[in-house]
Amino acid sequence: MKSEDLISRLAADASPVKRLSHPIWRAAMWFCVSTAYAVVLLVGTGWQKNLSTQFSDSRLLWGFSAAMLTAMMAAAAAFCSTCPGRPLWERLAPFPFLLFWVASTIEGCRQDLALKGSLPVDAGLQLALPGKLLLVSAAPAVLILLMVRRGAPIAPYLTTGLSMLAATAIGAAAMLLAQPHLSNITLLIWQILPVIIFSGIASLFGPRLLYWSTISDLREQGH
Amino acid sequence: MGMPKSESNQPNAAREARWRKLMRAAQDGDRAAYSMLLTEILPLLRRSVARKRQGSADVEDIVQEILLSLHTVRHTYDPNRPFMPWLMTIAARRTIDAVRRNASRSANEVIVDVLPETFSAGEAKNEQDIVDDQEFLRQALAQLPDGQREAVELMKLKGLSLQEASKATGKSIASLKVSVHRAIKGMREFIDEGNRRR
Repeated sequence: MKSEDLISRLAADASPVKRLSHPIWRAAMWFCVSTAYAVVLLVGTGWQKNLSTQFSDSRLLWGFSAAMLTAMMAAAAAFCSTCPGRPLWERLAPFPFLLFWVASTIEGCRQDLALKGSLPVDAGLQLALPGKLLLVSAAPAVLILLMVRRGAPIAPYLTTGLSMLAATAIGAAAMLLAQPHLSNITLLIWQILPVIIFSGIASLFGPRLLYWSTISDLREQGH
Repeated sequence: MGMPKSESNQPNAAREARWRKLMRAAQDGDRAAYSMLLTEILPLLRRSVARKRQGSADVEDIVQEILLSLHTVRHTYDPNRPFMPWLMTIAARRTIDAVRRNASRSANEVIVDVLPETFSAGEAKNEQDIVDDQEFLRQALAQLPDGQREAVELMKLKGLSLQEASKATGKSIASLKVSVHRAIKGMREFIDEGNRRR
């Protein structure tokens, strides 16, 4: 087929399209829905703590803030990465916050070591934490992946990895509120590290989840 | 001596403004604007792909893939942002995808210098027999309906995958499979009929 003929066919096929909303707006929508979901989950599992009491613990406040900021920026970066032509630096947005989250937890470990002479380990809880993290993050992960599919799959590995980072970071933030007494070393190894690992594993599935649609796919979707 | 930067940028700025306007209209359903836009960007895409794939025979195929991809994600263009970065990101991405696909396909191919000889149950075919057979196959292909012939040409002669052929024709993968199956059945019946007459 000649390119000129293809152009005629595409022009004949062209119907009005609903433009994609700004990526920041879409990220904000996802963040609000996922936060509401996390709150419902927390309340449903019997969480009745007073937030101001919980946040009087500076360790919890820093960890929670870092996790939420990582989630927010990862979501924004994921949506930006599906818009061709946007600056590449936007995709790096969550990493300073992730780094701060890791660094603040490591600092907490250092303080624990200095204060108590050893790193307190929460016996019996560790192995269940990554599984709980996945369960809590599942719905936000599915939602964000459905939303990013509307964009262009120009960076499938990165978009999927960032989406999973956003979902698991919000899950980790919710678990911090549900289990505020976990030690820093437990959080580092059994919560933050799984967030990074799950995001890395998810990114490998990028091309399978985010791929270029064909014209017949679009017709079936009613475009 | 080159032009001052401001002067050399003026045609580019005018082109950018024009393409932004056409793209906005295309998103709103203006088919004439869309056709004009795609026609105007075609030479740019050809040059861009040819630069990256110098001497390659698949430049036009990659350009068509870019056009198809642009069509499927035209809703992602933000009219408040420049058009060229949007276009060239898609072009670069699809070119890389095509290069990777060709590389993985070539990795599975074996270059054979000497073709293995095949012999029929009786005597070996002479050159005239081979020419006759090729003509017979051409006739078998020509008698097929357009859709079936196109499917066979793309997938069996040009070697496109189902997905690539689907993108090129706009037909679903299931429909292409049915077309190829019917085409091969039709060609087999034609050949059997021809052999009976011989």
